[in-house]
Amino acid sequence: MTAIQVEHLHKTFRIPHEKRTTIFETLTGVFKPPNYEIFHALKEINFTVEEGEALGIIGENGSGKSTLLKIIANILQPSSGKVTALKKITPFLELGVGFQSDLTAAENIKIYATIMGMQKREINNKLDDIIEFAGLEKFRDTKLKNFSSGMQVRLAFSTAIQTDPEILLMDEVLAVGDMEFQQKCLDVLSQFRKDGVTIVFVSHDLGAVRRFCDKTLLLNKGEQVILGNTVEVIDRYVYGSGNEVPNSFEKQNESEIVETEVKSEDKNSMCGDKNIEITNVEFYDKFDNKGARFNSFDPMTIRIFYNAHEKISNPVFGIALYSENGENLFGTNTELKNASIDSLEGKGHIELMIERIPMITGRFLLTVAVHTHDQKPYDWHDKQYSFDVIPTCREVGLFEIPCSWKICVQPSDFMNRFEINKNGLNEK
Amino acid sequence: MIFRHLKELYDYRNLIWQLAWSEFKLRYKNSILGYFWSLLEPLLMLLVLYTVFSNLMKIKVEYYQLFLFIGIILWGFLSRATTSGMFSIVGKPGMVKKIYFPRDIFIISSCITALLMSIFESLVFVMFMIYFRVPISINLAFAPLILLFLFIISLGLSLALSALHVFYRDVQFIWQVLLQVGFYLTPILYTIDIFPKDLQRFVLLNPIARVIISARDTIIYSSPAKMEDLLFMLLSSIAFLLVGYIIFSKLEPRFAEEI
Repeated sequence: MTAIQVEHLHKTFRIPHEKRTTIFETLTGVFKPPNYEIFHALKEINFTVEEGEALGIIGENGSGKSTLLKIIANILQPSSGKVTALKKITPFLELGVGFQSDLTAAENIKIYATIMGMQKREINNKLDDIIEFAGLEKFRDTKLKNFSSGMQVRLAFSTAIQTDPEILLMDEVLAVGDMEFQQKCLDVLSQFRKDGVTIVFVSHDLGAVRRFCDKTLLLNKGEQVILGNTVEVIDRYVYGSGNEVPNSFEKQNESEIVETEVKSEDKNSMCGDKNIEITNVEFYDKFDNKGARFNSFDPMTIRIFYNAHEKISNPVFGIALYSENGENLFGTNTELKNASIDSLEGKGHIELMIERIPMITGRFLLTVAVHTHDQKPYDWHDKQYSFDVIPTCREVGLFEIPCSWKICVQPSDFMNRFEINKNGLNEK
Repeated sequence: MIFRHLKELYDYRNLIWQLAWSEFKLRYKNSILGYFWSLLEPLLMLLVLYTVFSNLMKIKVEYYQLFLFIGIILWGFLSRATTSGMFSIVGKPGMVKKIYFPRDIFIISSCITALLMSIFESLVFVMFMIYFRVPISINLAFAPLILLFLFIISLGLSLALSALHVFYRDVQFIWQVLLQVGFYLTPILYTIDIFPKDLQRFVLLNPIARVIISARDTIIYSSPAKMEDLLFMLLSSIAFLLVGYIIFSKLEPRFAEEI
């Protein structure tokens, strides 16, 4: 059964150049032509969410994600088109809507729970649970203004999750807070999923979207780019395809290069006699598109463009990879990989093929150099290039180490088996 | 359509009450005398007006203290309900932009808060009644009906004002001036008899004038409300509510964008 249906949805905002907020201004402004710009926040959006399904919405900042969520929540009205929700909607756009700093924790819970659509009896029954879950038993009758912001968020969150939603709209505001809180949010989300709640989830955290969402909608500048299987949509978002998205990557690359040139002058990080010059370095993803963002564990190609001003024999190209903090993670060169080059002249490029990016997440810096057989540099670009890796797994750290667990239990040893079951590792 | 909306409001009755009650509690939370301010304010006003009008202007009306007090309380309710109702959308941008429920809930609950405060004030009025040994009669039964009309008129005004206030911020100043003028044009300080007969008809076009006059008749003077007055109040409260609601629902869809 369909839970949410969005048909031909458009949303425009009028952005006045000078805003008339008083009657006087309106009267005197009657004869002047209205002076405003039309901003298209959403254009021709169509999708349906089935009952029990989780839809992720991703896109750059300003792509219309939150506007779309607000329209589904009935907070904003569509300019044209139709949004039909066939079930009760519970929006989690912000935690603690309507909190009054002069009322006590218990009073605020009652108001907030009522706003979230809970019934009076239900609230009275759950009040103690909520306070306990937030870990605020001692502060039940303390005024909210004496709470730290962390305590307020905890209070709001433990109230909000007591609601019994049919359709849950979740904005990324929930992603604020520390690691533990984020984990709690995700746990609640997966519990709701198990209970068959329909979820619409807006986030920049692609890892979370990948984990929770059956399908995903990618928005770009208010337009529906692609709707479909989460893995495909995330690939499309990260690597881009078609014409629009790669352009922005190019720009990004260019600006990075400009930046690096400025950097190079004061740091003198480019050195060498420039008999061979490195003219550019580009990163290519698994679809052979140029980009600066990669999914972890995906293949990647680094293309190094050079220009040899004279005939050079036996040059050695090398790269070194650094973390954002400047730790050297890896380095290799053509000699070490037995890819000897007899001689070079003129322009060309060489490629370094990486089968699988082992990094999990972060920004990585790349040094590219070309030098003689005995380490005399022709050209050396120190940490001039960078790319981002976006996590696709739940493991943490900088790198993935290929590994697997093996549980060894002696069948006769009863106590051991009990221990392992209790830890929830595995049965048998 | 209207019935569906009423049903929706009924489902939200808990929220309406929670908002109204918390607002009422908040009003006096940080003051030492607390709720007594609520009593002190009309009493001080009564004292000043009574001194001025009974001594200087020699107004001779039976139970003039009560006559004055009932006018002050009822006009006070209208003024408080419309003023706080006017700010009930503009003053809650967080709620309007982050969550949805029928937005007239804000206005209804702020009118209820005003009602709670006025009921509280009338406790003093009851004490006055007892002190002056005012006889009461069966005609007192009209009073709740009259107060209901006043509530509906205030609600209609608040709906219109709150919606207009989102778009035009000078509505608040205009309304304060109108309330001031209205206070003197309504027979609160004086009886309607001071006007010649022709003029009285114009004064009685103001439904609040009829509310105050018939409230006095039924509560203080033990006489029944006039049929004509009741009918006029009924029709005007329906008209106020209808017009207010139409203005409100026309402007409501753009609230979240404009605040």
